[in-house]
Amino acid sequence: MIGEILAGLAAVLDWHVLGFLAAGVSLGAVFGSLPGLTATMGVAVLTPLTFWVSAEQGLAMLLGIYCGAIPAGGIPAILINVPGTPASIATSWDGYPLTRKGQAGLALGINALASAAGQLTSILFLAFLAFPIARFALQFGPAEYFGLALLGISLMAGVSGRHVLKGMLAGSLGLALALVGLDPMTAYPRYTFGMSEFLDGISFVPVMIGLFGLGEVLVQISDRHASRAVSSGVIGRIMPKAAEARTMLGATLSGATVGTMVGAIPAAGGDIGSVIAWEQARRTSSDKDKFGKGSLRGLATSCAACNAAIGGAMTTMLTLGIPGDAVSAILIGALLIHGIQPGPLLFANNQSFVFSIVFLLVFASLLIMAIGILGAKPLARILNIPPPWLWMGIVLFGTVGSYALNNAVVDVWAMYVAGIGGFLFRKASVPLGPLVLGLILGPMMESNLRRALILTRGDWLDLLSRPILLVFVAATILSLLWPLIRARRRAAKRNHRLSSDA
Amino acid sequence: MASLAEGQIGVPIVCENKPGASGALAFSYVARRSADGYTIGHAPVEIAIVRSLGYADIGPSDVSLICLVSKTAPALVVQADSPWQSFQEFIEAAREGAGRIVMANSGIGSIWHFNILLMEQGTGARFTHLPYGGSTPALVSVIGGHADAAVAGVGEVVSHVKAGKLRALAVFDETRSGVLSEVPTTHEMGFPIGAPAWSGFFGPGGMAEQRVTLLAKAFKTAFGTSEWAKLCRERGMEALFLDKDEFGAFAMDQQRFFESEIPKLVRLESSE
Repeated sequence: MIGEILAGLAAVLDWHVLGFLAAGVSLGAVFGSLPGLTATMGVAVLTPLTFWVSAEQGLAMLLGIYCGAIPAGGIPAILINVPGTPASIATSWDGYPLTRKGQAGLALGINALASAAGQLTSILFLAFLAFPIARFALQFGPAEYFGLALLGISLMAGVSGRHVLKGMLAGSLGLALALVGLDPMTAYPRYTFGMSEFLDGISFVPVMIGLFGLGEVLVQISDRHASRAVSSGVIGRIMPKAAEARTMLGATLSGATVGTMVGAIPAAGGDIGSVIAWEQARRTSSDKDKFGKGSLRGLATSCAACNAAIGGAMTTMLTLGIPGDAVSAILIGALLIHGIQPGPLLFANNQSFVFSIVFLLVFASLLIMAIGILGAKPLARILNIPPPWLWMGIVLFGTVGSYALNNAVVDVWAMYVAGIGGFLFRKASVPLGPLVLGLILGPMMESNLRRALILTRGDWLDLLSRPILLVFVAATILSLLWPLIRARRRAAKRNHRLSSDA
Repeated sequence: MASLAEGQIGVPIVCENKPGASGALAFSYVARRSADGYTIGHAPVEIAIVRSLGYADIGPSDVSLICLVSKTAPALVVQADSPWQSFQEFIEAAREGAGRIVMANSGIGSIWHFNILLMEQGTGARFTHLPYGGSTPALVSVIGGHADAAVAGVGEVVSHVKAGKLRALAVFDETRSGVLSEVPTTHEMGFPIGAPAWSGFFGPGGMAEQRVTLLAKAFKTAFGTSEWAKLCRERGMEALFLDKDEFGAFAMDQQRFFESEIPKLVRLESSE
């Protein structure tokens, strides 16, 4: 065992491998921080380039892109309220308010630190608990996916902030949009208006770019003279104080655990994981009112969760040969080209290579943490760019990125329509989080409920015989009733005080 | 293939992915371009199917077929510790079970789903169909024990079979597969069923004869390289070259097959 660990370490302690890793991380940082360019795209585009180098070098480059892009996606989320990748949507909820308070530096610093902490925690899970986690992931059948999606949907109220009713409306709109395309069970076209472009549904990434990118730009233009304009230009300190770090520790670790587990489940990744982690941290936190207004805990937990999803996805990929998300699907393809077959046999026959991957992930997360901290000051200068230039840049990258995703013009239209929608919603204080949740989770919830019912032959009660689903259902009910219970307990306390005063 | 053929024609080949509607979007896009030979497309089996499904009004006769370069046979897999050791046992159980066996597929209307329906039609077996959005989640559901069996391409199942997670009971083909040579074929067991996936190239309709020939020659040279042979072996594809006339006849034959079978298969399914 020790021999394999050392051999794995030796294979990556090579200037070429480390060089490729650094190049990958830097490229990933660029892909992640530009809205419209995603980690998936970066890995996909650069995979062919790795065919001419050794397996370790190629993998170093691709893992570097993956590990670099996710934390970097938090940078535009924090600075300009535009998530760089879908995983960083929750990062913008507390990150951007911090920027507006003149604490952009601190937000970027926390992003770098919590991201690395989340990823390192998930790598520890990968190194020590790979097979139990993989068994857990395999337990996820249709009923369990439905439960996960149900829990996610129940978070809509929590992520709506003060505007719960508007949030529900936005969430319903998201669910409705998720219905567009071929029916997942019968392949019958729904709401496609006869256009084959809509058969595969509405792509999520262009909608996200539109809602958060273009929508934010339009709001800033219309508020040009109001106080909402961003550039206070103040960056502030970067490193959190010891006391702040202590308050964030628990949230970071819980975010990392949630992120690892959700990341390990195939087809569920950092986007869902970070929202669940954020909402869980908010509920269990003593200062829940600060969440969404610049809470350090909220920021730390979402950053940790979306990066921990990397380790989770890698666990499923390496132990089962099953992709945990879109990026690891491409990584499997790249490994196959190099003659390496991810799966249980890899752990049995080629342990040193598994440890090479573990060490590459560790180095990549340390590297991106260093880049994040050292780069925070220069990056935050983005805030000093005259807003019109910034707006043009966002629209430009948003347009190009939306097209580049599927090479389809319809996605560009989707981006612009979503942008106008995002603008109107912001003006009417309609929260966007629920809409995004509906769009991501709607297809997952629908198709898996219907699959689960096929398996039980339409028997709803039979569904409840699945323990994991029961846990999700119980958590969902609890999360819906919790505000009522809390209100009652408070009222009871107040009555108690009143009566004891009297 | 693009990187192998590039050297033959002296201009770079830029690959652009246009996903959507079983490839119908990409077929229509290429068919609308100018027929100068500078925009060509990848023609998988779906080009002979999408019209029958109503996704797009396009088929092999509307485009200039260039050549075919590979074929992939479907394989039937069950979980490694499932009770069924052979295709016959499995079919027997599926006949008696009257739909108790859960069969995951990679999506209604996909080529692997048709193969499941062909199996029902050809053997009298009946399944409960569990549709997924692609072969990977369908195979994962079998590995996780949520579905009993699935049909997917040989190349998609081979790694899980070799890792001992899945057992392949049959390859739907006339001859045995190179990567799963120990698995019997449906034809040798007396069930002549199976519709392979295949992969070729096409250009917009009305391309000049000599341009088609030029491109076909470049692809043929690329086809002959050891890299292509290796790639096919790794992906579980059968390297098979058909020139434009052979490909044209084959594709039209396939289209007629799907045109006549799909309505029957749909009726079979809705009668379940």
